Amino acid sequence: MLNIDCPWCGKRHETEFRYGGEAHIARPEDPAKLEDTEWAEFLFMRTNTKGYFAERWLHSHGCRRWFNVFRNTVTHEIVGSYKMGEKPPKLPKSAGGTK
Amino acid sequence: MAETEFWITPAAAIASAFPDGLTELSPRAQVNLRGDAEDASFMTAVKTATGIDLPETPNKAATGKEFKALWLSPDEWLLVGEGEAATLVQNLEGALKGQHFAVNNLSANRTIFELSGPHCHHALMKSSEVDFHPRVFAPGDCLQTLIAKAQAIVEQVEEDRFHIYVRSSFSRYVGAWLAEALAEYRLAD
Repeated sequence: MLNIDCPWCGKRHETEFRYGGEAHIARPEDPAKLEDTEWAEFLFMRTNTKGYFAERWLHSHGCRRWFNVFRNTVTHEIVGSYKMGEKPPKLPKSAGGTK
Repeated sequence: MAETEFWITPAAAIASAFPDGLTELSPRAQVNLRGDAEDASFMTAVKTATGIDLPETPNKAATGKEFKALWLSPDEWLLVGEGEAATLVQNLEGALKGQHFAVNNLSANRTIFELSGPHCHHALMKSSEVDFHPRVFAPGDCLQTLIAKAQAIVEQVEEDRFHIYVRSSFSRYVGAWLAEALAEYRLAD
């Protein structure tokens, strides 16, 4: 089980959160101008990263805020969490796992 | 309060069998308030209407004269008290006229259990993954979490006294759970 650091509420147990998939996927500025393939690319295609991965989480049973978590999908090591619109934290030199 | 005089929740059916240290409180006015905490005119207007400095620190409660405010999220508070919810809504809407805000009377949304006595911390710790040890959780703290997998707001009102706000439809289940959680300590006394 993960202990996730909500940027507002602090460290809480994983059961309070919902997973939101890959972070930093910007919605196209003008969806009407996209080809179907481009729209499908935005909607469905994800990187499925093995290793360090920026992902969205929702503190659904707490403050109900979306935020980002930078986590290693292999070791479950959490490097840090940060608010929407902020940049992911830098990888520590000591970080282990697959890069 | 006239409007809540005849309100009853599912927990009322089992409340008479609750052990010492657990009671279901009579209905309180609960008003949800949303607005921008960084907007000084919003904060002042709320202060004028309620006398409360809304807590900006996460998971803290602040008390005013008639109502208290529980921090729910960066732009959301729950105002709780024994006054009239309708009057509070009216006062807030009057004071905040023209601003960007939301006020909703949610008094029927949650019922409040009071958990008290020397073992209330232990009963809570059995029911949740959050650390309710007095070392980290003190009077004036409140948070939202899962109590026995049901969403709840937990507020410590004073030493060894907690208020647990659960949705009315979950109240019989959570009430029964807390009664069961306290049972072993009753035997120990």
